[in-house]
Amino acid sequence: MYNNKLIGSLYVTPFVIGFLLFTAFPFVASFILSLTDARLQDQLGAAQFTGVANYTGMVADSTFQKSLGVTFAYVFITVPLKLAFALFIAVVLNFKLRGIGLFRTAFYLPSILGGSVAIAVVWRFVFAGDGLINQGLGSLGIGGVNWLGEPTTAMFSIVLLRLWQFGSAMVVFLAGLKAIPEDLYEAADLDGASRMKQFWMITLPLLTPVLFFNFIMQIVQAFQEFNGPYIITAGGPLKSSYLLPLMIYEEAFKYFNLGYSSALSWVLFIIIAIFTAVAFWSQKHWVFYAQDRGDDKGGH
Amino acid sequence: MRGNVVTNSVKLTDVKKSFNGHDVIKGVSLDVQKGEMVVFVGPSGCGKSTLLRLIAGLDTPTSGQIEIAGNDVTYAHPSKRGVAMVFQSYALYPHMTVADNIAFALKIQGLPKAEIDAKVRDVAEVLQLTHLLKRRPKALSGGQRQRVAIGRAIVREPDVFLFDEPLSNLDASLRGQMRVEIARLHTKLNATSVYVTHDQVEAMTLADKIVVLNAGRIEQIGAPMELYRKPANLFVAGFIGSPRMNILGAKVRSSSGEAVTLDTPQGVLAIPRTGAQAATGASISLGIRPENLHVAAAGEEGHLSGYVILIERLGGETFAYVTLKGFDGEPVILKLDGEAQVHNHQEVRLTVDLNRAHLFDEAGLAVGVSPDFADKTDGSGHVQ
Amino acid sequence: MVTATIDTGWRKHLPVLNAFLRYGILILVGFVMIYPLLWMIGGAFKNNAEIFSSIGFIPKAPTTDGFVNGWKTSTEYSFATYLLNTMKIVIPKVIVTVISSVVVAYGFARFAIPGRKWLFALLMATVLLPKSVLLIPQYLMFREFGWLDTYLPLYAPQAFATEGFFVFMIIQFMRTLPLDMEEAAVMDGCNSFQVLTLIVCPVILPAIISVALFQFMWSMNDFLQPLIYLSSVEKYPVALALKMSIDVTEATSWNEILAMSTIAIAPSLILFFAAQKYFVEGLTSGAVKG
Repeated sequence: MYNNKLIGSLYVTPFVIGFLLFTAFPFVASFILSLTDARLQDQLGAAQFTGVANYTGMVADSTFQKSLGVTFAYVFITVPLKLAFALFIAVVLNFKLRGIGLFRTAFYLPSILGGSVAIAVVWRFVFAGDGLINQGLGSLGIGGVNWLGEPTTAMFSIVLLRLWQFGSAMVVFLAGLKAIPEDLYEAADLDGASRMKQFWMITLPLLTPVLFFNFIMQIVQAFQEFNGPYIITAGGPLKSSYLLPLMIYEEAFKYFNLGYSSALSWVLFIIIAIFTAVAFWSQKHWVFYAQDRGDDKGGH
Repeated sequence: MRGNVVTNSVKLTDVKKSFNGHDVIKGVSLDVQKGEMVVFVGPSGCGKSTLLRLIAGLDTPTSGQIEIAGNDVTYAHPSKRGVAMVFQSYALYPHMTVADNIAFALKIQGLPKAEIDAKVRDVAEVLQLTHLLKRRPKALSGGQRQRVAIGRAIVREPDVFLFDEPLSNLDASLRGQMRVEIARLHTKLNATSVYVTHDQVEAMTLADKIVVLNAGRIEQIGAPMELYRKPANLFVAGFIGSPRMNILGAKVRSSSGEAVTLDTPQGVLAIPRTGAQAATGASISLGIRPENLHVAAAGEEGHLSGYVILIERLGGETFAYVTLKGFDGEPVILKLDGEAQVHNHQEVRLTVDLNRAHLFDEAGLAVGVSPDFADKTDGSGHVQ
Repeated sequence: MVTATIDTGWRKHLPVLNAFLRYGILILVGFVMIYPLLWMIGGAFKNNAEIFSSIGFIPKAPTTDGFVNGWKTSTEYSFATYLLNTMKIVIPKVIVTVISSVVVAYGFARFAIPGRKWLFALLMATVLLPKSVLLIPQYLMFREFGWLDTYLPLYAPQAFATEGFFVFMIIQFMRTLPLDMEEAAVMDGCNSFQVLTLIVCPVILPAIISVALFQFMWSMNDFLQPLIYLSSVEKYPVALALKMSIDVTEATSWNEILAMSTIAIAPSLILFFAAQKYFVEGLTSGAVKG
């Protein structure tokens, strides 16, 4: 039955249609649009082909350069910190203790809710001038900080929102840790390896597949962050939290520059593609797969 | 064929199967008679499970024809062939109760509920599953799951039952018990069964007819004792019987109408054999089953001699491993009485039941038949 | 559990020290993690003056003013409208996602399909592809379809298994199923669609629930898509309504906004606690088994 190619094809047909219609076509169309001066309010037919003008225009666009720098800063700060923290907490959690499940829940919860507008709103209040943090500092006799009004601290507040959502990466790490056979540690104990040595020599190498998965997911997500900065800081002040996805949205739906916005989105796509390509290419040097993965074959 | 009285229940005609250009079944022809229990046996990778799957319709042959009850079913849907299968892993549906598992095929057929219930009750009765009908597979023991799997097959009243190593997931004592139960059911239902196993004990005890498969080909078909007594070649000789038949290398010295005389490292040995042809000087393999080798009594000269290197005492019987002087290869195994007086490093002289010895030529084919077995026939098997 | 005795070597105390250290870290981190949520919920029951004057999360004079006034919203619609709108988006979206993902995953997991390796690579590529690249052409396409200011752009694409992550998750689950079971069903007379619906689906129910829950959460949180496609306030989901309310009323009534935020995350919160294991299983199936 499972070698019936026709029936099999029938099952994947929705994906093929969906892929062509909602992914492949828009993907190509977006590139073509990026070579035009299309505007949202006009008919598409009115758009002029402008070659690579949108791309060359970025060189002179200080807003773009600011946004690009901010985006890189955001990704380079949040991804390593989040992964390190998630791994650290996962290691602490990976221990047979009473109530450990409760902690796991507490740590996981924010990453389920964290992307919501409601949490972004709360975050805005937490960092507001008369918000939770300044009240806390005040009660310690420390003067308030204008968190969302200063470029550095505004960035800090949205970085913190992302770090707050370390739970999903932690859960994945935890599952990876639990998959490491106990007897490896017992053997290492007998060999006299210290806890620290065991972590570097056993835990980390065996965790690299999971680390790889988390790294890719976090990179891809961080480059696409929108809700947090849009609602908390609106990209400000002075564009200090104006991540590329915000700029892409505003160029298209606030300034109606579809062509330029498309070009920006392609730049973002290429950046993400480079990062994932490098990660996949490099994995043979640092990702250790304990077993051969089952081959990509089902049925007969 | 349709309409005539059909005596063969399953008929394979030159069935071949290849996966990705790799030949797994290299041309198999076979008749299974109505009411017969045919067992496919062979080492792993010999194609026995593939052959069963071809009969079941889970795979289709690359060429050849499969008939069941006189109908060509080579390309028919598995459920339209009149076969039911018991899987190695039982393959019970974990989300259904025992009753629902058994009833599932009937529900798919769209039988009325009352009829389904009655049939399920009957089957449960036969298999002593009645008190388990409301349980889910997770709550059953291995043996109980096995019985449900069998029940699921029985309820469909198929022309042919297919068993794919059904006992290999059970522990040893349960396996023996279930083996008896399957044999009992087979007789009771007067069913035609095709049974795949790698365990030659199961094959010997259950089969009316054993099909020995090797590398996608049939090595020999026959009744269990016939294969044991008259293995057609070295492969079957080695595969049927435990411990394995001892094989000793020799050269043909001469061959007369009554005996083949061998040159062995320990001298000349005449093997009685009627009408056997063997070219003088040719290599020949002498096959002796462990129970046909004995320690020579005091004063008796014996046929062979050597040193005991290992003794395994199983209680009721004793296996002695003896390295024969001058022979290459592995030590021979003797099957002795449990209380046999042998000890390690002992030098022993051995006698051979020459009338039960086997001979195989350079191509591995049997040379004649041992005199003791010459006129014994058992079942309808034939040497292919 | 562990008892320390004084007269043995210091190593005897290690487990206690270890546990002490771990609990310490966990409690500290856990408190910081959860505090914003507690503060939000507590704040919803405070009056505004108290929110600005106290960092504690337990309201001194609990009041439901925030809920009562927040529910009315500053628009002509009550918050109930927005909640209902959210469900009008989320429920169809979850349903079509589950169905399409299961069907497509079954094709990938079990069938010999021509060009299967390539299709699978494309499926995985959709997981990594930034959605913003597709945003503008999709918008223009849906504008051509006349779907602007309707909910269709928000869930119609999901009917075509466009979330590669979910398809992948289910494929991973299906691959762990023994093939024997499905073959037994075939022998029992099922066609492949019956095998899928009667055997495979019930058995992979945990994976299906995981997919449904994740899609539910993500759709509840979704903001950008409704922002682009919906223009009538009467069609706004909660996410847009909340954003609108902070733009309008921020300076004055935090308690109303915190109350509505609490209501907004309540469904997710309840589902998370009720079905936490499905979240964990769903998340880890892709990463650890893969």
